[in-house]
Amino acid sequence: MTELLSADFRPLEAGQEIHGISRPSQSYWQDAWARLKTNKRALASLYLVIGLILFTVAGPWVWSVDPAQQDLDQISRPPGSERSALIVADYAPWDTEGLRFGEGLTLVGEATTQSVRLKWDALPGANGHRVYRNIFPVGPERSYGIPRAEFFDNSVVTFEDRLDLKVLTYYYVLVPLGPRGELLDNYEVIEVDVHRVTTVLEAIDQGLIEESSNLQIGDALNLDWHPLGTDYLGRDMLARLMAGARVSLFIGIGAPFLFVLFGVIYGSIAGFVGGRVDQLMMRFADFVVALPFLLFMILFKISFGIGPGESGVFPMLVAMVVLMWPATSRLVRGQILQIREQGYIHASQLLGAPRRYLILRHMIPNTLGVVLVTITFAIPSAIFTEAFLSFIGMGVAPPTPSWGSMSNEGIKTMLTTPHELIFPALFISITVLAFNLLGDGLRDALDARMRNQE
Amino acid sequence: MNSVKADNGASLLEVEDLAVEFDTYGGIVQAVRGVSFSVEKGKTLAIVGESGCGKSVTVQSMMGLIPMPPGRITSGSAKLKGQEILGRTVVNGKEIRGSEIGMIFQDPMTSLNPTMTIGDQIAEPLQVHRGYSYKKAFNEAIRLLEMSKIPEAAKRARQYPFEFSGGMLQRAMIAMAIACKPSILIADEPTTALDVTIQAQILDLLQDLQRETGMAVILITHDLGVVARMADEVAVMYAGKIVEHGMVDDVFYRSAHPYTLGLKEAMPTNDPSLQHELKPIEGSPPDLFSPPRGCGYCARCPYAMQICNQRQPDDTFLTESHFSRCWLHHVSSPNKPDQLYFKEEA
Amino acid sequence: MRSTMWIFILKRLVQGIFTVWFIATATFFAMHNVPGDPLLNDRATTDAIRANLEAKYGLDKPVMTQYGIYLGNLLQGDLGISFTQENREVNDIIRDHFPVSAILGILAVIFAAAGGVLWGALTAIYRNRWPDYVIMFLVILGISVPSFVVAAISQLFLVNVNGLFGTTVLPVAGWGTVLHMLVPAMVLGLGTMAYLTRLMRSSMLEIISSDFVRTAKAKGVPPARIFAKHQLRNAILPVITVLGPSIAAITTGGFVVELVFAIPGLGRYFVQAVQQLDYTVIMGTTVFYGAFLVFMVIVVDVLYGFIDPRVRMEY
Repeated sequence: MTELLSADFRPLEAGQEIHGISRPSQSYWQDAWARLKTNKRALASLYLVIGLILFTVAGPWVWSVDPAQQDLDQISRPPGSERSALIVADYAPWDTEGLRFGEGLTLVGEATTQSVRLKWDALPGANGHRVYRNIFPVGPERSYGIPRAEFFDNSVVTFEDRLDLKVLTYYYVLVPLGPRGELLDNYEVIEVDVHRVTTVLEAIDQGLIEESSNLQIGDALNLDWHPLGTDYLGRDMLARLMAGARVSLFIGIGAPFLFVLFGVIYGSIAGFVGGRVDQLMMRFADFVVALPFLLFMILFKISFGIGPGESGVFPMLVAMVVLMWPATSRLVRGQILQIREQGYIHASQLLGAPRRYLILRHMIPNTLGVVLVTITFAIPSAIFTEAFLSFIGMGVAPPTPSWGSMSNEGIKTMLTTPHELIFPALFISITVLAFNLLGDGLRDALDARMRNQE
Repeated sequence: MNSVKADNGASLLEVEDLAVEFDTYGGIVQAVRGVSFSVEKGKTLAIVGESGCGKSVTVQSMMGLIPMPPGRITSGSAKLKGQEILGRTVVNGKEIRGSEIGMIFQDPMTSLNPTMTIGDQIAEPLQVHRGYSYKKAFNEAIRLLEMSKIPEAAKRARQYPFEFSGGMLQRAMIAMAIACKPSILIADEPTTALDVTIQAQILDLLQDLQRETGMAVILITHDLGVVARMADEVAVMYAGKIVEHGMVDDVFYRSAHPYTLGLKEAMPTNDPSLQHELKPIEGSPPDLFSPPRGCGYCARCPYAMQICNQRQPDDTFLTESHFSRCWLHHVSSPNKPDQLYFKEEA
Repeated sequence: MRSTMWIFILKRLVQGIFTVWFIATATFFAMHNVPGDPLLNDRATTDAIRANLEAKYGLDKPVMTQYGIYLGNLLQGDLGISFTQENREVNDIIRDHFPVSAILGILAVIFAAAGGVLWGALTAIYRNRWPDYVIMFLVILGISVPSFVVAAISQLFLVNVNGLFGTTVLPVAGWGTVLHMLVPAMVLGLGTMAYLTRLMRSSMLEIISSDFVRTAKAKGVPPARIFAKHQLRNAILPVITVLGPSIAAITTGGFVVELVFAIPGLGRYFVQAVQQLDYTVIMGTTVFYGAFLVFMVIVVDVLYGFIDPRVRMEY
């Protein structure tokens, strides 16, 4: 212990800074922002939300492909698939003269998107053959795929397939037919890898090359690039996702803002006026809450009616506002009733604060946090509702894309080209996730009870 | 460290240098910063101080009731009948809580399970510690309610907490805490949430029960009136430390710390010897996020000196059982205010 | 106490009837607002059905008269006849298809409630430790992924599992046996389970730090007993209050699951009816669903009273 001097025992002077007494005070919103910033999940989701909005608003400038344009050469292509095409001669009918047989089911020439040519020898016991095409191996359940041709004559032992050929691996199954045309038990199968080809004329037609360009048969050519692939009509997925984002986010963000606004107004009136008016207004809200929500969304959609060429976005927005406001109005009314009984309101009134001041200074700031959190949580549920309705075909009308309707289209080809479902589903999930986490973070940050805890 | 009594092994409970801190958003809060005291059999120790000074944390950490994390006991020991109980709840295969130490809380309204009958809740410690059958425990619960002077005990035992008034609930809480005849009862602000008229009844009940069972009581309160009525010994806590400790008369009539003085001046009383104008203590306790370098009371102390802002004071023993933790008691301190009691020169 | 409880139930039932009336009215006027005469378009409406409908609903009479006829029919429990299928009554349709949806829904509710309570309690007890992180990650996924995607993925999974074993371990679609119900019920209950897990977790966290649990600890009650006697019962209460709306969510969520898994339930039938614009079936089914949900909410309210003594006393 060091020696104590008499100076140490001088009295403290007024205004002298005392060590370790208090920390700086912060306003409600400063404090909330500081708490939100320490919440990594909430912050990450905030960035995610900003990113999504940029994707929707600025995306179409960066990737200016028309979402409605069909690329018929590339239908249901997953992202990153091979897009070079070989230039071949225009299609000419198959001359089967002079083919040699005796090798069983074999491919003749190259298998291309122009045509796949098969030849075979009559199977034992056959009175004819049926040819199937499948995208899976036959397997124990003996699924052959779609029947492509049937010949009731053993003399026809060739088949040319030109139907909607894609760059895939196909399994052609040859099944012999019995005397009455029934399928016999044995079968033969061949695996065929189809390559992409195009002709000079087609390429010029689609604007892939200039008419003047000097391309020869055998040259390779690159088709249009689709970073996220194409859908079942050959439309660019990325462009459609952007267009879909516009619809989904417009409904997802627009509707909550509108119905929360309506709910706030309705709830504040009920809370302020009180008495019989309040009773009546809240009873009506109870009724609206009792309506089975999704059924009435569908009902309203039918009742509004969607004419040709309309997207159905507006009716859906209106229906959501009509059906979803009561929760907010109840909440706001409850808040207002609660705040009205608080000591600081009475104190303010005693000091002669006018009504307007009470509303502006006390009521609104104290309900704002709750309203903000409500909106944040209403957004994912609105996005889900849009997706749900579009998925069962009751949402926006085609060809307007939305993430829900894209999922609806994608689920049909889920087994062969999963990317058509995965991308819109992923966007829905990420958006909902981001808003949910942001809502959690906001709630924690704005909840004054949480201060000084944890 | 600085225990009031020499360690003669006779104390029922001996707490040494207890320190507790919490991790919070804002940083680490050092809620209790080295507290020592002891409790004798059948006696009452009152721990006094304003809100947030660490009274409750001190006893709750002993009982293993602070959530860990964020809470943490950083040092110290607490010995019940010579056995260490700090950081453990089972000693020699026996649960201490509820059997050796009973505890009642500030707010009886929220401290009882709302979906369980009063009788079931009182019977619970008997079932757990004594292995009583449900029926036997419930009958004992009725007897305990009668002991706590609750009318129609048999009917009341089958009711739920929301059917009880605050005072009744606190009686039920007491019945529950003493069900297994503990040697120590910790009462954490037992009357703070109650009406003044009820407060006296509850304190009477506590005194009666103490006389009947011979248990020791640790009474936590900020009400000096309650202290004067109940306590044998008093420990005054401020900012996580005990600043003055002594027998009740020492602390009341020979107050040796400016904070104790401040508390007394802020207390309304009808005792003519203490009559004075009410004077609040200005300001608020320090923020324990960054505990002060010097004395925690420095900022509010009318006698504050330069040294108070720089270094922590040590305990100064005025008598064998009375100490104060203040620079004014230092031999070099020039001023000795009249209002305070100082060690008589030998 | 007994008699006041009956009065409470009676009061709720009267309220419920009013609510159903409101639903029926809203349905009627929403459908009446449909542009054009629904009977005039040629959607598979035969002359026989047409004559039937006109007679039954007084379609040539003013709106309010039609509304009266409609309410009168409802009071007699008659929900109407199909627009597109000759002589098919909505009551028959509901009788045929609702049991399927109900079984699926009950399984899903049980799955969701049991799972939600269990996982929620677990995450609260293991707060900020790995079981909490793992379960809450899955819960966030469950909340964020639309049910049709979950349905599609689980179907894909079933296809692969069946392919792996070479036989049908679990049917991919259809209805009939318990095995058919298992996966769809889980998919249907998943979103609600995730929601209930979150609710249960926060409710449980509040209870864990509550004063009365601290009291129980101070009494020396062992943790298992604290969990069973003090925490669980009190933490479940808020979960029960949202069970009514949850049942509603599961009921309508059934539309998608029934569609994807090709289950012949009322939901799938409703979607079909909507696509065919079978107005009377749409109206009948909506009112039926609405009444069912109102009834379920009343049941949950009464149930809540049995569990929470504070509410029981108010009866």
